[in-house]
Amino acid sequence: MIYAGDWPGWLFVLLIVIGVSGIGLMMYRRRANTGSPTATTHYAKLAVVAALQVAMLMTIVWVLRQPTLSTEQLRAGENSVAFALDTSQSMSYGESESRLASAVRAFAAATADDSALNLGVQLYEMSDRARRVESFLSSEALGTQTALLASVTDVLREARFSPLAAIVLASDGADTGGGLTPAALGEVAAFGVPVHTIGVGRELIPEDLELVDLVLPEKTLPGSSITARLSIRHDAPANTRIKVYNDDLLLESQPLELRPGSQVTTAWVNVRLEEAGHHHLRFSIDALNGERELRNNSRSALVEVADDSYRVLYFEGEPRWEYKFMRRALGDDEDLQLASLLRVSPNKFYRQGIDSPDQLEDGFPTQRSELFAYDALIIGSVEAASLSESQIAMIHDFVSERGGSLLMIAGPNGLGNGGWGQSGIASVLPARLPGSSTNSFFRKKAGVELTPHGADEQMLRLADESIANGEKWAALPEIADYQLTGSLRPAAIVLLNAQTDKGDIPLLIGQQFGRGHAYILATGGTWRWQMSMPVEDQSHETFWRQLLRTLVSQAPNNVSLTAGAGDADSAVRLRAEFRDAAFAPLDDIAVTAIVTHQSGETFSTALAPAADDRGVFLAEVPLAESGTWYFEAIAERNGEPVGVARSSMHFEAGQEEYFGFRRDNRNLERLSQATGGQHLGPGDIDALPELLRYSSSGITETDYRPIWDAPAIFLLLLLLKGGEWLLRRRWSTI
Amino acid sequence: MRRLFAKTLGISAILGLTVIASGQGVDAPSLQAPVREAPGEFQFVRLAYSANRYGRNSWGRQMWQTDWPEAEHHFLKGVERLTRIAVAEQGRILTPLDDSIFDYPWIYAVEVGYWSLNEQEAAHMREYLLKGGFLMVDDFHGAWEWSSFLASMQRVFPDRPIVDIPENDEAFHVIYDLDQRIQIPSLQIIYSGVTWEKGGYTPHWRGIYDDDGRLMVAINHNMDIGDAWEHADWPEYPENMTALAYRFGINYLVYAMTH
Repeated sequence: MIYAGDWPGWLFVLLIVIGVSGIGLMMYRRRANTGSPTATTHYAKLAVVAALQVAMLMTIVWVLRQPTLSTEQLRAGENSVAFALDTSQSMSYGESESRLASAVRAFAAATADDSALNLGVQLYEMSDRARRVESFLSSEALGTQTALLASVTDVLREARFSPLAAIVLASDGADTGGGLTPAALGEVAAFGVPVHTIGVGRELIPEDLELVDLVLPEKTLPGSSITARLSIRHDAPANTRIKVYNDDLLLESQPLELRPGSQVTTAWVNVRLEEAGHHHLRFSIDALNGERELRNNSRSALVEVADDSYRVLYFEGEPRWEYKFMRRALGDDEDLQLASLLRVSPNKFYRQGIDSPDQLEDGFPTQRSELFAYDALIIGSVEAASLSESQIAMIHDFVSERGGSLLMIAGPNGLGNGGWGQSGIASVLPARLPGSSTNSFFRKKAGVELTPHGADEQMLRLADESIANGEKWAALPEIADYQLTGSLRPAAIVLLNAQTDKGDIPLLIGQQFGRGHAYILATGGTWRWQMSMPVEDQSHETFWRQLLRTLVSQAPNNVSLTAGAGDADSAVRLRAEFRDAAFAPLDDIAVTAIVTHQSGETFSTALAPAADDRGVFLAEVPLAESGTWYFEAIAERNGEPVGVARSSMHFEAGQEEYFGFRRDNRNLERLSQATGGQHLGPGDIDALPELLRYSSSGITETDYRPIWDAPAIFLLLLLLKGGEWLLRRRWSTI
Repeated sequence: MRRLFAKTLGISAILGLTVIASGQGVDAPSLQAPVREAPGEFQFVRLAYSANRYGRNSWGRQMWQTDWPEAEHHFLKGVERLTRIAVAEQGRILTPLDDSIFDYPWIYAVEVGYWSLNEQEAAHMREYLLKGGFLMVDDFHGAWEWSSFLASMQRVFPDRPIVDIPENDEAFHVIYDLDQRIQIPSLQIIYSGVTWEKGGYTPHWRGIYDDDGRLMVAINHNMDIGDAWEHADWPEYPENMTALAYRFGINYLVYAMTH
């Protein structure tokens, strides 16, 4: 607002001073009645009258200044607006009409009355990128990706030298291109062009189920069960069934109840893979009655069943039954190589499961490369003092740097009794072990129960189905002994509890430490499960096999390659890590990835060293075709090969377009808010012409509108004076 | 011939008096005796088997009690001294049908030429062994006792052969390399100078294996390891035989705790 009057400002100030002084003098003279008992009331009435008079004076002075409104609006005939239409495949969904048709209709309504502005119109179709089109009449929802930010950026770059007033984007907001980060939004906002978004489609689709997420290990051992976690989106309660296929072979089928009160239900499915090699697993959920979009009911993943053999070192300080029965439990597991070093007498170690006569010949390893060759380390009932400081430091590094798994087992000379709580690996362990001066080991039987965390752990599955698993654990005989572990560390997770005469105590505890994991099993008496249950029962064997398989599968190799989703839907991110035998990172190497499609098509790309992670090399690789892709990262130093890491993944182009296809207002709102635009729902289209008219971008002109002669001003003056008159009449004493 | 008869009679009389003397003041073991709960990782368990009609000796003592309690008392001290095994001080006696045998995966049976396991007991022992239990049998001699032992053992394992334990079996090397096969005699060697009895001239170390090649039953025929343990403190009993008996016992035990 500005003032059009050309009188000098001091004149208005003078008028106000004179007017207020006059009113004040007049009120002063009327103070004569203050001697009355109602003096306070009299002063209040004087103040009201004075206030009304001052208000009227100020209004008159304000009108004399000739107040005028000025507004910026687009100059007619000199600006353009870009209409961007999402033509990705999710826009084909709809009821009576598709989302695409709704969006086109919204655009038509918005541009129907722009005759006053005479805006130029630029039309764009957008999916992975934006493309200029002449009209939307032939637009089809065929795009395999929705990249909102990339498309808007395309429009802005193309129109950066023309007076673009705004971008109007119609979409379901189901962005699959990624990149809606604050930094990227800031870059778009820097163009200064507001982006108004129009959301189309429904936010809730009760007739549709969607397999939102699928998480499962990329790698496992032959005969091992893997647990897949499925997240299922549902907008209404329903019953369905989860099915798992290995290629076309049905592996698993289980019912699933989708309960009310939650829009996403999580389910777990166990799958056992016997044969080595790559397995293409497809997880699907049965369709609801009337469900039309079935492509979001399934997801695929590639799981490698490795033919590798994993190595475990078991260091035990005394012959005992747990040692025997653990070895027996693992005896038939060809994928686990359990080398044990057992101190049978004060002067003799007994070795079992060794590959060669010189393995462990000198006792516990003294070289990092020797210890780090194992994937997991078990330490039983043996004193920490039986190892040197450097050996204990090596165990610390085995977990933190090598990424190996450490399992400490209870015993009369183990855990706290063995002085491990004061050793160099105390910080690695998930509990603060008690000191060795107080006995913490008790040869008393105790029951075992799963904790809620333990119930979700694959390694503690004695039966595939959760209820049956719980029943099997509840039916297990008591363990022969237990040991107190002390207080837990913050990151510790208790998987099993022991029910002892001292109350419930943690029995199996784990935590991640550095690159590896550390566990405490606070008993040496699980062997009672084997001796107390029927011969054919496999609970004891299953427990130990799964526990150790989990331990070794968590340990990374010194060379590794992972292939994960890239920033864009059509790209994969490769991460290769190369370390030497002692797991020191290699950063003086060059790494090249050979990328091969199942059809045989192949190409290579260089991986760049990661900025803040030694020994790690990264690359974003675009994938053109669906199918299985194989990746091989080759490390070389001065042209000589240093190591090779392999990985693979199943890729389906455009697959994500069918997922998350419910209208996502959040993405659209973030885009419009960041650029100064507005987000409009389907019913708010009428507001668009006005938004465009007053756009801050483009070529604008200023419109002046005087308001001093507005009827409301005169009405206000009348009310002020009339009010004063009425009050004075009512208070006749004035 | 007459001299041999007189000599045998004399030896028997001496042995009889010796046994009476050694048994004086010793109560028969009670199966119901309270035992502290698992005071050590290894508890010596003696099998109180059902016996045939010859299952009591001339003094009314049951044959499974032979050498009790000195044998286990001495042997346990040896195990404690020579190994890292946490040993319970007292032995324990259990019948084949006692479910608590599953808490003790190593069990010792003596004079098994007189045992007579019924089908139920045999099934229980079979289950015990197949789960991972280990049975050491000892102190039976000659063909008659072998056939008596065999009758019950075949009820336990009708289809598993009894074989000679090979020289290279870990049971003979796990701690001590027991390459020499020497007959460990009973106490009678003091009086007669012979190492055999009841026609059992040749000692046999035999065994029964499970499907994975692990020794489940160590059968010490024509020898008396238990006597060697029992009389470890007798100056007259050959010290080298006691030492060898300890070594066999310890090897069997450590084998059972590692295989």
